[in-house]
Amino acid sequence: MTRLQRSRALRWLSTLAAAAALVIILFPVYAIIVGSFESTETLFSGTFYWLPHAATLDNYRTVLQGGSASTEATVAGSQSGHVLTSLIVGLGTVALALAIAVPAAYALSKYRLRVTLVVVSSLLVAQIVPSIVLATSLFIVFHWIHLLNSYPALIIADGTYAIPFAILVLRAFFFSLPNELMYAARVDGASEWQTFRLIVIPLARSAVITVAIFAFLAGWGDFIFALTILNGSGIEPITLGIYSYLGNFSTDWGAVMASGAVAMVPAGLMLVVAQRYIATGLTAGSVKG
Amino acid sequence: MAMLRDRNIQSSEIASPRWSSWRRQQFAGWLFLTPAIAYLLFAFALPIVYNVMLSFERTSPATIAHFTAPFAGLDNYRFVLHDPTSRMAIIHTFEFTAGSLLGQFLIGFTLALLFSLRFPGRTIFRSLVIVPWLLPLIVTGVMFRFLFQAEGGAVNQVLMNVGLTQHPIQWLNDPHLAFWTILVANIWLGVPFFTLLLYSALQDVPVEIKEAAVIDGAGPWQRLRLIIVPIILPVIEVTLLLGFVFTVKVFDLVIGLTGGGPANATQLITTWSYNLSFQVFSFGEGAALNNVLLVLALVCAPLYLFLSRDALRRSSGADR
Repeated sequence: MTRLQRSRALRWLSTLAAAAALVIILFPVYAIIVGSFESTETLFSGTFYWLPHAATLDNYRTVLQGGSASTEATVAGSQSGHVLTSLIVGLGTVALALAIAVPAAYALSKYRLRVTLVVVSSLLVAQIVPSIVLATSLFIVFHWIHLLNSYPALIIADGTYAIPFAILVLRAFFFSLPNELMYAARVDGASEWQTFRLIVIPLARSAVITVAIFAFLAGWGDFIFALTILNGSGIEPITLGIYSYLGNFSTDWGAVMASGAVAMVPAGLMLVVAQRYIATGLTAGSVKG
Repeated sequence: MAMLRDRNIQSSEIASPRWSSWRRQQFAGWLFLTPAIAYLLFAFALPIVYNVMLSFERTSPATIAHFTAPFAGLDNYRFVLHDPTSRMAIIHTFEFTAGSLLGQFLIGFTLALLFSLRFPGRTIFRSLVIVPWLLPLIVTGVMFRFLFQAEGGAVNQVLMNVGLTQHPIQWLNDPHLAFWTILVANIWLGVPFFTLLLYSALQDVPVEIKEAAVIDGAGPWQRLRLIIVPIILPVIEVTLLLGFVFTVKVFDLVIGLTGGGPANATQLITTWSYNLSFQVFSFGEGAALNNVLLVLALVCAPLYLFLSRDALRRSSGADR
């Protein structure tokens, strides 16, 4: 074989290997999507179907209209309510994270403050703290201040995923803005707030979008805080919905699959429309959970 | 007024602002930072401190309303160290973390090397590899529960079609096998993160160095071991560290996949602590177990701060 032939063969072999790896990586996602279209009979037939078998929209009807044959517990909130709830929690987490993180990151990168080193170190350590540690205490604290079972409580808790990460990513970005920009604005008579609002924020757009996407996915996908802080009825995000369809004794697989598929939509959507930002956020050292 | 005064500053003074301007900036900086400090105190410092308090208290469902409970000394820690399930959960957490990191690193590094080769379609493969990392963890958990079902699960179906087994394997009902399923699911979950970070590190290895190694007659394995790995070692360290931090926290995945069962065979510190606090309402014992987890996680904090020293050094204002 000539050198050229060998390198060409290697290239196709690589493609083949990558395709095989990708099939394994994406198969679970494929299985849940196919499963979400299967009838209950098919799902309980004891046979796994590789392609949709007698496809039906019944599961989606079940989860979007609420109620389920096997789980009476979910009657209180229909799954369309779950989607709306998760959207509110996700967007609330974005709003809280941006409101706190953008100014903080600006202060930590462009002002000489005595506490900078302490705050940045705390943020790095905060990313390490396991959520269950926070959840146990926050449950009692929120109980104490009568905030259990509320959106603000859940959003504040979900902020623990997003805020330290957001500040660190934005801060790294702000370092790339030249200080002369701020000096020039000050010389032109802009106040500190005007400089921040009119010069800095517009320039930070791409970093803000990256941070917003991760904050949304964190709020949307959160399970542990929803499970602990929302211990009553009323507010129930989609992640809790999936859990309640799992049931203690019998699992309504059709409903689990369909709500699982719905819960994957934001991630899929982000991957299609915001791929660039996701890659940036991941390499910036994201820590989930 | 302040604006008028600032207009009079000469350009030479801008680089070294006057006292009043400096104070104004300090004030603005603090205002920008205050919400974040308040948030950190409320959502991180308070829960951690309160968790330590709880772990020394004799709690009951009734004491929750009062915020404090009678002092219990070391009883909760004594319980955690003697309760067989808590001890198992701690051991499982170690095994789970070590196994996950090993699997994630080996597969992630292999894929990163693969994606560094030039071949048709690599861009799209690379972007799709991220998918597992973006999904809600509870979804990943139920996904694998579906795949590993004894009856009608895809895994058993494949094994039976290939002829590796005659009878469906009880993945989720056998305590030993159930532990392997949570391990496999978590490796699947973490591979994208390792792949992406290691891939971007591989891109930063200078081409000249690789070419020089080829000219000097180094084979592929030698190049990898002696040239590439040493160069990207700092990234490998950070990736393993973040992987560790992430893995000791895993909760949703296990709840969705096995719920900690069968017979507590897949209880990790996180899931067992949840059980103690929220199923049997022994918040004190749950808090004690939480602190074990916290210490475990924070062991790597100094290392993390050390590896992030570049980001920290900038805070001294050295770049100005």
